[in-house]
Amino acid sequence: MKKTLIITILPLILLASIPLSRSMAATVQEEQIDLQMRDIAKTLRCTICQNESIWESQAELAHQMREIIKERLVKGESPDQIRAYFLSRYGDYILLAPQKSGLNWLLWAGPFALLAAGGLFLYRTLARWVVQAAAEKQEAPPPIDEHLRKRIEAELHSRED
Amino acid sequence: MKTWHFILVIMVAGLLALFYKGLWGDPRAIPTVLIGTQAPIVSGPEVRTGEMISTSRFQGKVILINFWASWCLECRTEHENLLALSRRFSSNPDFVMLGINYQDREEDARQYLQVNGSNFDHVRDLKGMISIDYGVYGVPETFVIDQQGVIRYKYVGPIVGQAYSYLTESVLQPLLERRPFPSS
Repeated sequence: MKKTLIITILPLILLASIPLSRSMAATVQEEQIDLQMRDIAKTLRCTICQNESIWESQAELAHQMREIIKERLVKGESPDQIRAYFLSRYGDYILLAPQKSGLNWLLWAGPFALLAAGGLFLYRTLARWVVQAAAEKQEAPPPIDEHLRKRIEAELHSRED
Repeated sequence: MKTWHFILVIMVAGLLALFYKGLWGDPRAIPTVLIGTQAPIVSGPEVRTGEMISTSRFQGKVILINFWASWCLECRTEHENLLALSRRFSSNPDFVMLGINYQDREEDARQYLQVNGSNFDHVRDLKGMISIDYGVYGVPETFVIDQQGVIRYKYVGPIVGQAYSYLTESVLQPLLERRPFPSS
């Protein structure tokens, strides 16, 4: 009796779990899409805001852009393809960080190059100062004027007396 | 002068030149990447009638697309000029003018057109897709598409004063007469 009951109920439980597992898979996929969307949205500038990504912005346009990213991800486009789409519509301005190509390398390398040049300048100036100071120290004191020498001697003698 | 002194002077002069350009340049002049590219198809319901409109049915015509919104003050300043532009060119069978209602409430858009009048069709940009396809930063923005469906001109800001003269005389007229564009 017990065996029959198990044989009857078990397939039913398994059948009932199929939609559940499907919905769980859909939820996982949706979460992955959301995560991908967030990563892409964080790299794109909200074109009507001040220095905000479309992920941070509450503007309607930013919301619509996020929806477009989601739709394209669902269609199977890669993050690079989606970024390329926005780039083809708005140009480099849409990217919060400039692309590492062409003249943009100046933007990436410029600050470090200026820092290195400044450091070199500081090092050379300080080194020159140190050398100058050392040289000045080694130099003999300038000769004292004869009249002044006599006056100093007289002063010293008067103190000794 | 030592070499590094010379390099320093060049770098400072370069920075000053950049600052100068930034201070006196046109803040509206955001370079567009769309000029010379194929215009995306515009499709959506007409603001007043709800009838579906698509630019695919205007192939071979010069199309002027103007993005606007009822909340946009600058759009009001150019409205009369847009009506004048439509009156001037609408008799030409090769010309089509379309307004795209951007980030707006349907009722507000309808009321705006009712109050200010209109003599051309306006498409509602329901999901912002049209604006994003055209790389629109804000309103008003105006695009001109040639007979081959290529974006030939974009203007950010209201079509008033010199912008109006340039658009009519140096952009639309030459395109409609199939003269070299832009004319000098």
